Amino acid sequence: MSEAPQINSQSASPYSSNDAEVRAELSEIDASIRTSALFFTVSAIFWLLAGTVFALITAYKAHEPSFMGDSALSTFGRMRSAHLNAMALGWGNNIIFAVGLWIMARLCRSPIRHGGLLLIAGIFWNIGLTVGIVGIIMGDITSVEWLEIPHYATPLLALSYALIGVWGVMAFKFRKGEHVYVSQWYILAGLFWFPWLYIVAQIMIIWFPARGVVQSVTNWWFAHNVLGLWLTPMALATAYYLIPKVLGRPIYSYYLSVLGFWALAIFYNWAGVHHLIGGPIPVWLISAGIVASIMMVIPVIVVGLNHHMSVVGLHKEVWRSPTLRFVVFGAISYTLVSLIGSSMAVRSVNEITHFTHFTVGHAHHGVYAFFSMIMFGGVYYMMPRLLKREWPSAGLIKLHFWGSAIGISVMLFALHVIGWIQGVQMNDATIPFLEIVQNTIPWLKARTISGVFLTVAHIAFAVNFFWMLFAAGAVRAKQGPTLLDSAKEEGVA
Amino acid sequence: MDAESYTDLLPLILLGVVFFVSAIAMLYWSSKRGQFRNFDSQASTIFTDEEPEGEISDSFPSK
Repeated sequence: MSEAPQINSQSASPYSSNDAEVRAELSEIDASIRTSALFFTVSAIFWLLAGTVFALITAYKAHEPSFMGDSALSTFGRMRSAHLNAMALGWGNNIIFAVGLWIMARLCRSPIRHGGLLLIAGIFWNIGLTVGIVGIIMGDITSVEWLEIPHYATPLLALSYALIGVWGVMAFKFRKGEHVYVSQWYILAGLFWFPWLYIVAQIMIIWFPARGVVQSVTNWWFAHNVLGLWLTPMALATAYYLIPKVLGRPIYSYYLSVLGFWALAIFYNWAGVHHLIGGPIPVWLISAGIVASIMMVIPVIVVGLNHHMSVVGLHKEVWRSPTLRFVVFGAISYTLVSLIGSSMAVRSVNEITHFTHFTVGHAHHGVYAFFSMIMFGGVYYMMPRLLKREWPSAGLIKLHFWGSAIGISVMLFALHVIGWIQGVQMNDATIPFLEIVQNTIPWLKARTISGVFLTVAHIAFAVNFFWMLFAAGAVRAKQGPTLLDSAKEEGVA
Repeated sequence: MDAESYTDLLPLILLGVVFFVSAIAMLYWSSKRGQFRNFDSQASTIFTDEEPEGEISDSFPSK
């Protein structure tokens, strides 16, 4: 039996002041960031759908190369890069700007200032990204993985991001109260890390290119850290906020959460060079990257233990919450993908997994099963509070969850299995390369099928979202527990 | 790669060092500002009168 949490009217929060002059109500903060958060969420969903189309084309072409083969616009290289950038910078960044900044504003306990700046920056971010992805499809793609966007679009992206980053720092500066909750640490650090990574990589690879080998080191330092020091901290910030918030129970060990954050901050930056194991760079540099990758086990175990202990005894409540279904799926995935990632940095394992579909599966494990699932959960929690309306369809939420969960599980199984087989066979000189390629085809077809599941899930998510956004009259009439108390009192529940 | 060419990596290494030092500086700042004290009460700061501790605040909608 699950243990119901005890209501504690004497909250330990120093911000729950009875003085209305001092206290900033959450609903007031939500209202102040509503326009920006909605803009970013709509943009994120658009990019999610566009990225899904690019992904389906790419996946299908991997086993049917002649598909759309007459058009230069839809070659594998362009579609694959359009997919990556639409998902990472379109879906990923926009949903971070929506959910992450909303959480930041709530934790700063102050209605946001300069919301117009955030909105303008967001508009320019999406214009820059559109120009960049159209440029990729038109053939202006660079040859650098994760930095494929052509040089004429990147200054606009960098400027837009700078405005958003400055806004985040300003929100932190004008916060009420001295305490910094662990989610704020993660978000603030991510806002600092991402421009650092992006600008350094742009300078050293695109604008003033260093020597080739240094470019490679920079490239993987950047690409790996986009996941570890941008997407990961934002997803963990969301999980650390939503798990205790939904369950009404503080995180199991705040001490462990702080330890996990600082271990990530200190170790992760060094880990990216493990992508170049066997490459022509100094051995000590790779060894440092391997050591840092193994040291990452510490924050991963700490975070996993903390999340697990926080939900112990409340598993039924987790299942009943649309938010926590997604968030807990993502949190479990974080533990798994991180431990697999650390093991992939070991030289003997890397000899097999390098240059195979195993790495592709690993990337999707991190960006989708971990990051995206947590962010879906964030949207399910945020939207009713921003709009003071209920989600219109529980069925569509369930379709979204099961489509995503089954789709990504099938994809991860297929790519990890065939990746390992592919790696073992490529290390055997007696097996012809073409035979190895042909062996992958059934597994690549499985990946395409998994993409169909994910497509259905994303369409269900988008339909539910826009239904909620525009069909206000019908949705408002419902009663439901995801609504805020104040909304119920106003009779709009 | 020639041994002399390793100096090409110097900017990258220096960036890593700056990054590391900035993380340590933030760690020091947070320690001085008392962020590592009273962990139990700090974990409860996310709860407010509107969304109090002890109350489950999310479940599936009615349909």
